[in-house]
Amino acid sequence: MAEVDARKPAPTYRLKKNVPVPYTRNLPEIVRRNIGHWVDRKYHGRGIVEHVSDTGDHLFTVKAGGTPNVRFSTETLRKFAQIADDHGVGALRFTRAGSIEILAESLDQALAAKTAIEEIGFFVGGWGPTLWSVGSCTSYLTCTTAVVDAPSITQALYDQLVPYFTGDIPLPSKLRVNVTGCPTACGGLVADIVLVGHYGAAPSFDPDRIRLCLPSSAKTLSTATPEVEMVCPVNAIESFARPDGSVGIRIIEKKCIGCGRCKDVCDHITWDADKVGVSVLIGGKSSNTGVGPTLAQVLVPWIPVRPPRYRETVAVVRKILDLWRANAKPGERVADYVDRVGMKSVFEQLKVPVGRWNRPNQLRTGFGVRQFVSR
Amino acid sequence: MADEDREKPVEDPSVRKGLEMLAELEKGPWPSHVSELKKGTYPIEAYAKGLGQGLPPWFSGSARISCEFTGFIARRTKDGKQTELHFRVYHPSGQFYRTEELRRLLDFADKFGLGSVETVGQTGDLIVPIRPELADPAVDELRALGTDIGGTGDSIRDSAACVGPAMCEYALFDSLAARDFFFRYPAFYDKLSTQLFPFKIKLKFSACPMDCARAVHRADFGFVGYWEGAPEVDQAVLRTKLEANEVSWKGLAAGCPAKAIRWDPAKRELVIDGAKCQKSMNCIRKAFPAIRAGPQRKIAFMVGGHSKGRWGPKMAKPVALLDDYRSAGEFMSRMIDYWSDRSPHKDRLGDLIVKEGFPQMLDRFKDSLPSSPAGKAAGAPRIVTSSVLSEAERAAFAEWADAIAREYEGGG
Repeated sequence: MAEVDARKPAPTYRLKKNVPVPYTRNLPEIVRRNIGHWVDRKYHGRGIVEHVSDTGDHLFTVKAGGTPNVRFSTETLRKFAQIADDHGVGALRFTRAGSIEILAESLDQALAAKTAIEEIGFFVGGWGPTLWSVGSCTSYLTCTTAVVDAPSITQALYDQLVPYFTGDIPLPSKLRVNVTGCPTACGGLVADIVLVGHYGAAPSFDPDRIRLCLPSSAKTLSTATPEVEMVCPVNAIESFARPDGSVGIRIIEKKCIGCGRCKDVCDHITWDADKVGVSVLIGGKSSNTGVGPTLAQVLVPWIPVRPPRYRETVAVVRKILDLWRANAKPGERVADYVDRVGMKSVFEQLKVPVGRWNRPNQLRTGFGVRQFVSR
Repeated sequence: MADEDREKPVEDPSVRKGLEMLAELEKGPWPSHVSELKKGTYPIEAYAKGLGQGLPPWFSGSARISCEFTGFIARRTKDGKQTELHFRVYHPSGQFYRTEELRRLLDFADKFGLGSVETVGQTGDLIVPIRPELADPAVDELRALGTDIGGTGDSIRDSAACVGPAMCEYALFDSLAARDFFFRYPAFYDKLSTQLFPFKIKLKFSACPMDCARAVHRADFGFVGYWEGAPEVDQAVLRTKLEANEVSWKGLAAGCPAKAIRWDPAKRELVIDGAKCQKSMNCIRKAFPAIRAGPQRKIAFMVGGHSKGRWGPKMAKPVALLDDYRSAGEFMSRMIDYWSDRSPHKDRLGDLIVKEGFPQMLDRFKDSLPSSPAGKAAGAPRIVTSSVLSEAERAAFAEWADAIAREYEGGG
């Protein structure tokens, strides 16, 4: 643990955050002089985009796919920095999707950057009708609430989906996949396919340690609700006074939806590792194209997870992709395809068993800026 | 970790099993996070233990960093033998890094950290695992590099913007400057060091309806570039494109999700019905700059979206069409104050809107808007991403998945 020197005055200046503004401060020169001047773009293959400015400048971005949960060693990032110096304008971008974009001034430079990126073991692609990214939360790398390990599922998926990223196998449209380790769904539901780790059953708790999340005396129950009970959205947790005056809880399985909010506020909620799985949701997207922004909906509420290769998980994703590839019109995202043919048809074609947790309802649309269009 | 430690045989069976799984994960074609972490000093055995036992290895930990209340997260393993501490580092709007400053950040990650970086967290921040014993001096080192730690817990999180006018021709307002403005907006800036809110607060800025920053779903307050009416068509430029076979009017008309486009053969002009246009960007992306956003530029201001909240994931609701993003500041700070006074811990702003009703919430704060509220909120289903299943239900789904897995075995 860090030693704090008590003799020194407290560094109260830290209470005023040193925020990195304005954004123009550290821009590469070619970007700075073209802000607001871009007029066109051209695609060179699936990983290089040429941005054309009305000032006559051309800027090329070369997009390299990131590792699962975008964990990079400093050694590898130094190699990317070197590529940006050798074959670019000495700058790069980290994108929201976890890619690294090298900025170059000519197509020759960009192609040289692509070769250099491939030489250090990374793939260039992810523009246009391709797999843009498999997003992953941190899970077992740092998180306390993760039920399954999203980065390793992401690795298993990427290993199988490389040709969709590079564009060697074309897709109908852009594709995003998100993998999240717990029902919190940190990656959000605006991806074409979303995998969400969950308990598959109601959680339980460590009977000895749960008291660390509860008030010490049952007398407090008349004036306040323990947090672990309060955060439950379906009142499936009940606290009660034990005969010895301490507080106990029970989890009512019939009410529980397995959302994991109790685990968010208490480390000592636990679960049976043999029952965990992932739910598979389809049809989410963020952009206003096609049917507009949508939240992904549950296709299958549970499939098993088997590290390290996640046989079933990877196969189900590939099955969904194959259905979409075979039937979607050019430019149709998964949501657009599902909206056109109907969720029911997708369920039938995939022969998904329908249960309490996966009704084949139509995707809800009309979100985002469409709410401002008078209808 | 010293070399002699690495050579010790692994005693814990779940760690051993996990290490075998991690080795397997390094064999595929896609670059592996495991290989990257192994190049540094990340506690890989704790990760292995998690995978091996099928449970996360981490519990909440603690760290002592003077006068810092947001921006770092500490973990420890159950036995307390391993720790994990990481900084969330504010990113510059647009996430451009010149190589010289990137190398300074990497030097920082080597000197104070574990030799690895997560290049983009969920809010766009840079996440740097840190050696706990150096955490306190590391803060000042980072501040000297022109940034800081922040945005953990029940606080105003790091905000995010799309690349905007810095690299995109579709940008309808300066999303990057907007993020910078609210970074320094006094009502928010003064609270960046505190965790005095019911839960997290996120702001996102997308310069056009493509919403690359995911402002509709991933932000309590979302700003999206918008225009009123139809896109603007430069008929002469469009005719050149049509003659060069770059686009076809039939393709533009068929591709419009709102069916708002028709061709006038007499005038040889494309006609777009502004009343129908849904701003889906299809024609603009196909025929830019012959077709571009209409001249009545606005910023669609929305509230209440999020992934993590009491009643599951939500999409944002429409507040107003603004001429200037700055005019939303008072509305946001008043709404945050109201939410802070009322909401229980771990309820998002969107959850309060569910409780109180969106029209009621708008009525309460609309006098702080420069124009009257606009838009009509779309109703949303409640999505539950998890499930509580019986043994039989799990078996049925497992059987279904197994049949598909067999289909794909042997390369599929």
